Amino acid sequence: MKTPLLLSLVTLLTVAGPLTAGEIHGQVTCKGLRNSADAVVYVDQIAGKSFPAPAEHALMDQKDLQFQPHVLPVLVGTTVDFLNSDALLHNVFTPDKCADRFNLGSWPQGHKKSYTFKNPCTATLLCNVHPEMEGYILALPTPYFAVTDASGAYTIENVPDGSYTVKVWHPKLKSVSKQVTVSGSTEVSFSLTK
Amino acid sequence: MRGETPYSRRALAHAMIAVMGLALVFVTVAPVHALPVFARKYHTSCQTCHTVFPKLNPFGEAFRLRGYRLPSETEAQVKEKPVSLGAEAYKRVWPDAVYPSDLPGGAPLAINVKMANVYASSKDDSGHQVTHNDFQFPQEANLFSAGTLGEHFSFLGEFTFAETPDGGSETEIEHAQLHVNSPFGPPNLVNFKVGKFSPDLEDRFQEMWLMTDNGVDTLFAYNPIGLHGGTGLEEDVGISLPSLVKGIEMYGIAHHRLFYTVGVTNGLGPGPNDTVDGNSSKDVWARIDYKFGGMGLDGDTTGVTLPPENWREKSLRVGLLGYSGDGSGIDFPVEDANGVTFNVQDRRYQRVGVFGSWIWNDLNLFGVALHGTDTLRVSDESGAQLDETKPGYDTWFLQADYVIKPPFQVSLRYEDLTPGDSSAPKSRFLNANFTFLMRANIKTMLEYRRDLEETQNYQLAAVLRFAY
Repeated sequence: MKTPLLLSLVTLLTVAGPLTAGEIHGQVTCKGLRNSADAVVYVDQIAGKSFPAPAEHALMDQKDLQFQPHVLPVLVGTTVDFLNSDALLHNVFTPDKCADRFNLGSWPQGHKKSYTFKNPCTATLLCNVHPEMEGYILALPTPYFAVTDASGAYTIENVPDGSYTVKVWHPKLKSVSKQVTVSGSTEVSFSLTK
Repeated sequence: MRGETPYSRRALAHAMIAVMGLALVFVTVAPVHALPVFARKYHTSCQTCHTVFPKLNPFGEAFRLRGYRLPSETEAQVKEKPVSLGAEAYKRVWPDAVYPSDLPGGAPLAINVKMANVYASSKDDSGHQVTHNDFQFPQEANLFSAGTLGEHFSFLGEFTFAETPDGGSETEIEHAQLHVNSPFGPPNLVNFKVGKFSPDLEDRFQEMWLMTDNGVDTLFAYNPIGLHGGTGLEEDVGISLPSLVKGIEMYGIAHHRLFYTVGVTNGLGPGPNDTVDGNSSKDVWARIDYKFGGMGLDGDTTGVTLPPENWREKSLRVGLLGYSGDGSGIDFPVEDANGVTFNVQDRRYQRVGVFGSWIWNDLNLFGVALHGTDTLRVSDESGAQLDETKPGYDTWFLQADYVIKPPFQVSLRYEDLTPGDSSAPKSRFLNANFTFLMRANIKTMLEYRRDLEETQNYQLAAVLRFAY
């Protein structure tokens, strides 16, 4: 009984080994800010590799007079649904050309409008009904990305082993990048300044 | 050139002595500008910016000149998160939308209360000494409002409620000013201020920046408009230098250490028919300073080693200042000793002066020397010109502030005023202060001011101030 089981495990490990996805995790320190949330850590374009757009839509909510989440990274080609969860009118528009400077108009609570991000883009979202509202959608070339929490911690899961350019973007700070070799669980930390 | 005028110089000289004696008692005490608004905003102590409020240390001066912003201010340093009036990205949308700004996160209000026990002695008209001991609890309260409005604007307001002897109060808007900070060009180089304010022409020596309770009356309360040597020291009518102006000022800092200011204001007033200015001419001023050593005027510390005691440094700041105005058409009635009334116009007044401030660790020695000239035209009640003179006067003061220990600080000031007319009496005052900072926002002072020309004129004040 034991021998077949052992053989199966050895076989499984031998076959699965090279395909095992690792992860990139670490810490982003946002100097001068109240916390280190909302930094997007992502793997940049991988030469010769493309990723199909997901069929599933991403969601950007307008709730309690805020864009939620404040920062939403998606893969290029993703359609984002903009939901109004407030009992008042909202609007969504962007001044950014990479997103066609879209203006989706206004719609009532519970309704959605959509936009597909066809190109790599950092789109600032604004609401012309509530000028203080601000959000961001990053359309990225790979599906390997994560957003930091308030402590600056992040984890990008399922990243195949290999060498990549890893970039960090933040709404208020200068972007940085690093060459990273991923081998299993790999720790990479960043420091951002104005 | 001076013509003959029908009055008695000796009688006027006696009158001026009496006026100056009264001035000792009635010239207002200094308003205090400590702004707990900023202590709340940054969650920091008053001591961050003040040696003893309202006197600013070098860091506080940089904070003020930067439009109430910390040098290299970061978001994390601002503990009260501002209220957004428009997302940052709206800058790119302008003019299709209003340019973004923000509001202070907390109510930008602070209160400063002053109580004083004033023992005053003066000589009355008949030559008798009059003394009085008065509890003035409170003497005044000041409501402050200050803060920033987004990236390029800041504001300061001060509303003073001065208690009157009958229990009522007199109110005054002492400051209502909007600053435009670095709207273009390098940071801190070009700034504008509009409203009612103490001009930066008087930076570091106007009463709002002094640790003493009394201001420098010989500089600010002297009125040279009169028959011989002016009318002496008088509350709110001194035009030697204006303590507060309603105007527009441009100021800035170049290369961290060069400070300049130019400004324009109404001048003599009020005018007829509820106008503020007495005529349509405007007064102008200019000042230029350079600071050697110590912290830069914008807070820059490149290449400078400063001690951890933030009031200490080794620096010298020197400056030149000038003020000019035209009072043509504005009549000031004056009486001679015989009761005959004349009208005097100050058709051209000019002030030039030098400022110096030397900080050597715990000692700050500073002062101003000012020369003033006034073109005074005397006419009778029918408007016929009787005389036109161009008297000059000289005034200077020197003040030494010393930090014994942070809670214990002392100050000694000598003031000197010499009117251009030799028949007019000189004014010389000594002002001594001992301050005990009980807490960062509570201070007590014992201040003695003596008229060195008339020994019966003096004042001893025990002052309690607290801010919150």
